[in-house]
Amino acid sequence: MDRNERIGENTVNREDLIVKICGSAGDGSISATEILNRAVASMGYHIMNFDSFPAEIRGFGKSCGHTRISKNPVRTPGDKADCLVALDDGHSISELKNLKSNGIIIYDSLPPSYRDEDTAVAGYIEPGMIGYGVPLRELSTEATRSAKSRNLVSLGVIATLFNFDPDAFVRAISKRFSGKKESVRTAVLEAFRLGQIFTSEKISKRDAIDFERKAYPREGEYIIISGNESAAQGCLDAGIRLYAGYPITPATKIMEILAKKLPIQEGVVVQTEDEISAVGHVLGAGFSGTRSATATSGPGLCLMSECINLGVMAEIPMVIIDCQRGGPSTGLPTKTEQSDLRIALYGASGDSPRPVIAPTTVAECHSLAMAAFEISDAYQTPVILLLDFFLSNRIEDIVPDPEGSARWGRFPDSIAKPGESPYKRYRITPSGVSPRSMPGTPELLFTATGLEHTENGRPNYDAANHKTMTDKRYAKLDALRNAWSLPEPIGDAGELDVGVISWGSSAGSAIEAMEILRERGFRVGGWIPRLLMPLHEDALEAFAARCRCLVVTEMNHSGQFADVIERVVHRPILRIAKVYSEPMPSDDIVRIVLGELS
Amino acid sequence: MNQANTPDQPKPIIHAGVSRFLEDVQKSGILNYRSESLPTWCPGCGYYGITHGITQALSELEIPSHELVFVSGIGCAGRYPFFMKGYGFHTIHGRTLPIASGIKMANPRLRVIAVGGDGDGFAIGGGHLPHAIRRNIDLTYVVFDNGIYGLTKGQASPTTPQGQITATTPYGNPEQPLNPTMLGLSYGTSFLATGYAGLPHELLPIFKAAFSHRGFSLVIITTPCVTFDSVNITYDRFRHLWHPIPASHPVSDIRSAMMLAMSGEHYYGVMFSEDRPTWDDRWETIQRNARKK
Repeated sequence: MDRNERIGENTVNREDLIVKICGSAGDGSISATEILNRAVASMGYHIMNFDSFPAEIRGFGKSCGHTRISKNPVRTPGDKADCLVALDDGHSISELKNLKSNGIIIYDSLPPSYRDEDTAVAGYIEPGMIGYGVPLRELSTEATRSAKSRNLVSLGVIATLFNFDPDAFVRAISKRFSGKKESVRTAVLEAFRLGQIFTSEKISKRDAIDFERKAYPREGEYIIISGNESAAQGCLDAGIRLYAGYPITPATKIMEILAKKLPIQEGVVVQTEDEISAVGHVLGAGFSGTRSATATSGPGLCLMSECINLGVMAEIPMVIIDCQRGGPSTGLPTKTEQSDLRIALYGASGDSPRPVIAPTTVAECHSLAMAAFEISDAYQTPVILLLDFFLSNRIEDIVPDPEGSARWGRFPDSIAKPGESPYKRYRITPSGVSPRSMPGTPELLFTATGLEHTENGRPNYDAANHKTMTDKRYAKLDALRNAWSLPEPIGDAGELDVGVISWGSSAGSAIEAMEILRERGFRVGGWIPRLLMPLHEDALEAFAARCRCLVVTEMNHSGQFADVIERVVHRPILRIAKVYSEPMPSDDIVRIVLGELS
Repeated sequence: MNQANTPDQPKPIIHAGVSRFLEDVQKSGILNYRSESLPTWCPGCGYYGITHGITQALSELEIPSHELVFVSGIGCAGRYPFFMKGYGFHTIHGRTLPIASGIKMANPRLRVIAVGGDGDGFAIGGGHLPHAIRRNIDLTYVVFDNGIYGLTKGQASPTTPQGQITATTPYGNPEQPLNPTMLGLSYGTSFLATGYAGLPHELLPIFKAAFSHRGFSLVIITTPCVTFDSVNITYDRFRHLWHPIPASHPVSDIRSAMMLAMSGEHYYGVMFSEDRPTWDDRWETIQRNARKK
């Protein structure tokens, strides 16, 4: 059951289209997807682009761009595609299974040599699908004297076929090739034009997708970026001066971006010998009063847990970004999963409270990264920001939040003033937050330690002191909970048939599922906290009390967030916890919830 | 751990000779670098001698205590920051160098002194040493090498000789010991000095040279553990084994330094020193180039 059949509506009317551009590496499928994104975004459409690529480095592997274009904000990359552009045969044949049963295939009608039917994509077109043969190679060669511009020819086909504003494409292509010679720019634009001409003159349109050259005005300057780029920008905007990391998929991109940009802001990037050292550097920088960060994935987070725990005990600000991937162990480096929640929340010896934040969109990766630094400084604690492969790599058109981290709350400044006498680094206060001293300041000397300690930082194993200091560390979570903006429920008010709780990257699927259930006549609401530790338990209980059926959705097997919720609400919940490896399909949520309600 | 200096403690009776010594200590300024906490090390521990050398050097170099950061890991040497005046970070086992490096990278104005034992530096933390050296980060790393795990009461360490009986090697240590000096030189440290805690007065020039060196300075001090080692590094056995590095030794020549390190003899002094761009120097260049692009 695909989305159109399910909703009983045609894609045309919804202005919601999923395009896949598939080929071998080097065929330009990714760059064509980027141009497509830019072109349609400039018309005011929203996009979500989530490419698939294999974990292994292979010379001419499959390269497939997947982008969803919609009039409305895009919550998920969607399931099956409406249109597949086949820039090659072999890899594209394997993508046909991801095409809707009434989907469109744009393929090369004049392959370089005579092909058997079973090696040409055209031979695999199922009844019900719509095939448009275009001499991609021939037109490309005519325009640029090379077959390499087949991707641009295909963009000409898409623009004309679906009736997008061609000028937007021309601008996007020109921008893409702005660094190139004039003759190159002219040639690639010619490739696009030949695709247009061929489509309007030779193709008799058999599908019903028509965007009617519409354009929608936008508010604010939008940018097209990935979750990792957004989080990296958040680090830069928070003013970090040090980034330490060890390459690991899918977090490496954050380090690569900062390696380029941080030195311009007088910052330093250190590629350490392992994740232990990376987080050690971040801890050291936090101790010395400098904002710094590291990003990793599950295997790295395991290694970092001892230094994070020291950060909790010694009350050192530090930000750790965990771009989750399939696990356990080395797991599935290029597949998405939300299964590091438990280690993020609790992964340490002893009672080790630490805030955990999970953005749900690319835009939030920016504002919540900034907020992570704010609360890390304000409450003198390690903070873990949870992304995952899907959120790290998906590309969206976003308008950066002008409020930045302020959207999520305003957090106090806890820096000590010289002259405090006697200075107590770990002074007991109602909020648990003590005056922080920056090394180098005269008269505010202290020694931090991973041992239990007194208010003045001296090791102490007295039971009463241990209780006091444990309470102090947990009190900071309460202070943070109070300062953080309350997570407002979404959807219908009042009594609900279905209440959906979700977190992180899969929240989009939950919201999409909610929309579908509402269209089916159910009263549906959602509760999607970004601050997962500490949780706003009162708000959660109030929401849960309104729901007949309470659902928790997440991309892991054991229901890691559902466990957290269950402990608060003390009632049966419907757990939709699965390892999909791909973004969570909203259909699946709908199907399971409907099964429960019937 | 004892919390010393409670006000009710009876005043000890002090011998006249000791009293004169204390006056000398007062005058030397080394107490400016000592905290109110008295060390918890065993009486006779070599660490007292090392501490004397370090505080003397700091005093002579007139480094303000608020610019100092003492970083340590776990072990008897781990407690070091508590006994010193300055900023301190008593971290976790083996992570001394990454954390000390982070502190220095984030705030280059701070003077960072990392300390640790042979277990902290060469066993659990052994993977970090070559990389701190490669970065030539401008800090001093003092290894208190007593060839034994003292805080956990006498287990074998990476520098325990093969065959030695310890708590975890009751039939003799099956592993051969590391040569820390060779390790430091072959990793490419820009500064290496060695010393012996039983010769505390010889440590002053060593620490002065180390603290004055721009770049990573590795100082390996052999020190007796009087409680858990009665066969290997003992004051009696080591009394006559130590020689100053010959004045003729070319200190910037790595081959000569390695010859000394491999000689099987015990030398104290600066074994190797070379001027190289530090981490901060390199980053100044990188940042300048980045801004130009």
